[in-house]
Formats: sequence, C-alpha cells, structure tokens
Amino acid sequence: MKISDVITEYTPTIGIECHVQLKTRTKLFAGVGNDAREAEPNTLISHICLGMPGALPVLNSEAVHLASRAAFALNTSPQKFSKFDRKHYFYPDLPKGYQISQYDEPIILGGYVEININDRLRKINITRAHLEEDAGKSTHPAGKDYSLVDLNRAGTPLLEIVSEPELHTAQEAKVYSKELYLLMRYADVSDANLYYGNMRFDVNVSVSKSKELGTRTETKNLNSFRSVEKAVDYEIKRQVELLEKGQKILQETRGWDDVKQKTFSQRSKEDAHDYRYFPDPDIPPVVLDDKFIARVKNEMPIMPSNLRKEFLPLNLDKSAIDTLIDSINAAQFLHNVISRTSTENAKRIAVWLAVEVQSIVSTGESTWEKVKLDIDSFIRLSEMVSNNELSSTAAKSIVGELIINGGDPKKIAKDKNLLQLSDASELEEIVNKVIGDNSNAAQDVKSGEMKAVGFLVGQVMKASGGKANPNLAKELIMKQIGIN
Amino acid sequence: MAKLSKEDVLKLARLAKLHLSDDEVEEFRKEISSILGYVEQLREINLENVKPTYQVTGLTNVMRSDDIINYGQNQIELLKNAPQSESGQIKVRKIL
Repeated sequence: MKISDVITEYTPTIGIECHVQLKTRTKLFAGVGNDAREAEPNTLISHICLGMPGALPVLNSEAVHLASRAAFALNTSPQKFSKFDRKHYFYPDLPKGYQISQYDEPIILGGYVEININDRLRKINITRAHLEEDAGKSTHPAGKDYSLVDLNRAGTPLLEIVSEPELHTAQEAKVYSKELYLLMRYADVSDANLYYGNMRFDVNVSVSKSKELGTRTETKNLNSFRSVEKAVDYEIKRQVELLEKGQKILQETRGWDDVKQKTFSQRSKEDAHDYRYFPDPDIPPVVLDDKFIARVKNEMPIMPSNLRKEFLPLNLDKSAIDTLIDSINAAQFLHNVISRTSTENAKRIAVWLAVEVQSIVSTGESTWEKVKLDIDSFIRLSEMVSNNELSSTAAKSIVGELIINGGDPKKIAKDKNLLQLSDASELEEIVNKVIGDNSNAAQDVKSGEMKAVGFLVGQVMKASGGKANPNLAKELIMKQIGIN
Repeated sequence: MAKLSKEDVLKLARLAKLHLSDDEVEEFRKEISSILGYVEQLREINLENVKPTYQVTGLTNVMRSDDIINYGQNQIELLKNAPQSESGQIKVRKIL
C-alpha cells in the first residue's frame, strides 16, 4: 500500500493552540521583571513566583490591556467580564501546585483570523483566548540523578489563543500560524520572537474518511511555522498509515523532533489530567467598561488584512506584498504614502521598498527600524522619475542614499550627476555623434528595421553615462534619421 | 448518599500525590463519602436563576500597574526556602 494513493480519501482536521508571551515589563501576578532571556537563573523571582504560603498575587493591568488589544487584532472585542481559575497539576516547574489560568470565562471569546490560501480568503474562527501564567524551566544535567529548576519564566503572562478545528492541510496550518504571528506583532502585544519561544504552537490533528471526526493527537511546543507545517504533515501521514493497517489512533500528546523530522509519543491522554479547576479566590474578576474597550479599539493600528486590501490597486506581486507586510515599518510607511500621492508614485515607492530597501536590510547594512523613511523625499524622488528628470535606474541608486543618510533627492541626484538630459539641445549633440559612429544601424532604421532604433538608443544611453532620457533620445534619433 | 469507591479514593490520592495505606483508603472512603453527602444537600435547592459565586469579597479589577516592585528579597534568601539548590537553581528529583 502506498500512502499517496489513499491519503486523499481522508480529510484531515486541524486546530491550533498558540501561546503568545505578552510584552509586559513585569510578570502577570508579581512586580518582577519579565525579560528572562539573558538573566541568570532565579534572579527574576519573588515570594509570589515561588508560590510561598501567604503570598498574594496581584493582576498586572498591562496584561489585561494587551489581551484587549489582541482581541481587536482577532476581529472581536474583549469580554466585559472575565475571571481567573486555578488549574491543578504537580510538576517541579510549577511551584504553587496550580497554574492561574482562565477556565470558563476567558478574556476573549470568538473572533477570527483571515488567511489567504491560494488566493482565496478564508476566515478561521477563534474559539477563545485566555490569560495564564507561564511555568518555570527545568534542565537535566547530563549524567546526574537530579533536575534543576529556574523560575525566572514562572509567572510570565501568556495569552493562549485557541482556533476552531477549521484547518485542513499542513499548508493552511502554516499560513494560519504566520498570520497569527503578524497579528500579534501589528497589535504590538508581543515581541513575537520565535527564537526565544515568544510564540509556541500546539497542533491538534485528526483524519477521517467520514463526516465524523477521527481521534486526535496534540503535538506540542512547535516554535516555527516550518515545524508547524512539517509536524502536521507528518501526523496526517502517520495517522492514515495506522488506519490503513487497521490500527487505532491513540489520543495522546506528542512532541516534535526537529532533527529527525518526526513526532513522538510523550504521554497518553488515558491518564488525562483532571485539573480540578476552581475560581481563584486571590484574583477578583476583571470587569471592563465600555469606555476602556472603546479607548483600546481607538488606539489600534491598521492591521495586515486591511493593508493588503489597500495595496491591491498597486498591482504588486504577492512576494512584494509579503515582504512589505512582514516589515511593519514598510507597510505602515506605504499606507501613509498611499494617502498622500498618486497610485503611480505609490506603486513605484512600494517596489523600491520591497526590492531596494529590502536588499539593504537583508544584507545587514541596516534594519527596517533604522532606515530613514521620509514620505516627502520618497514622493519627490518618484515624481522626478515621472517627470523624466531621473532614469528609474538612477532613482534606485538614490533610494539607497536616501534611507541611509537622508537628504533632498534632487540634491543627491545633482551631486551624483544623475539628472537626466532632458534638454534637447544637449542631447542632440550626443545623438548626432552616435548616428555618425553607427551609420549601418542608422541605415537599417531608414530601411524599416525598427529593432535598430533600440540599439541606437542604447548607444546614446551609454554615451551619456546613463543620463539621457531614453524617450527623448528615441525621438531625436528618429528625427535625425528622417522618420517621424 | 454519595458512595465513593476505593478507586475514586485512589484517584484522588494520586492527583494529590498522596500515598495511602489500605486502612487509610477505607477510612477516607467513608469520610469523604459523608462529606459529599453533606454537600449534596445543596442539590435540593433550586438554583436556576442564581449566578455562581466566584468571589465572596465583591471586589473587581484589583490590579497593579506594570512596574517593578522592590519586595526587599534576594535570590539567596528566597532559595533557602527550597529543600535543595545548586548554583542558583532549585534541585529536584530527576524529571525525565
């Protein structure tokens, strides 16, 4: 049996849970620094983080604010009433013996993420998103019979975003994860640094031949879009293979081995956790009033899906749009450009951003945060191309100068001697010389060989050091040869 | 009255990480059954339009601003609360 022959008979169903680390200064329930990236173990801890008896956790208002922003990013509003619950389990990196989370009244219910699958827009519904504290980190020294626990990360605020099981391919799972990442960055609720695990994905996968869903597995802690795609792909194949052999899928939690590119069993859901949730008496409920909700809504920036719609009339190719959207600075700059100038200028500037600026950024010469993006200069530069004062090649070279050092594009063009020869009398001299030097080509043109015109224009461009206005050059050549 | 099985008690014990002797299992089976029976009386009350009580304080929105608080603590003092530690980390029985 070959999997590829039968896999199409099965419909995979995928739901994704994503833990987003919120970019607060301090932890969710303690006034202790939140940035554990470079900190020595257990230097960002307090009696609250250690779960000492009598410690009173107090909710960080900024976490509520950021979660509310995330709600709008997910095309919904935060719940007016939400509360915190204790989720009980024993693990050495969870000192209290329970995690403070939100069970039946989370801060976000509903909403959706819009994704583009093969040029079709689809809405993936969000079930819920809730606030909870992260656990600590344990390490296992080689050859030792003990483990070490660092609680710096214990209590870091997380927003767990749960999607409806509405994804059906590994590619869709990847696109959804990437879009969620963009939304969290645009909403500015997380540093969304995947390397540091600021966003971690758990994928629930099942396959079925009928309308009824199959038994699902959960593959946890994926920290890149690629691993989301690969893990889903692997799980679909593995499950179909088992079912084809007449075996059953175990409902279990699996891990992802990035080296072997395989999922592996971690624990079965047989001893499914009985978390014994109950309302946390330490944390009074959160009640958000209309004024707060309206204020947060008002402060939201323009989001990727709206930007893409705005960029549509510019007729850019998909990779250029992706490049621009990937860099919030580029996309927001273009958004401002569009409101200020013609479509022609906006499109030219968009391409400069996606190609010229992007190449400078990707070589590491500068970053999207550092480059100087001045609307007036960019529009003036584009207008110079429209007005034939500058060739498009020359303009591109000025873009580099503009974003690193800034300045007036016209002055830069002058200083670099890039202004086009649009003065007929100056250009005529060059044209005459070129025709004189290339009499054969001129003869060809005369006898109707129009291809030769291109050659002559090329020669004029060369002789002028790229400064000739090609349209004017062509006009003068034709005039000189005597064809109109 | 609610009757707990031996398995129920063992499950509770496992979730609470407690080791119980056979005698204790039987003892707790009776005790917890009677507690449950007592609480079960609440089922006789009609609670149709009553909101669950999440809190008895009546408080809402008890929050702090996102600022570092000096709790006057240091790592060495805090780690003394752990049974064992090693180079700034808490030492526990091997996990994996």
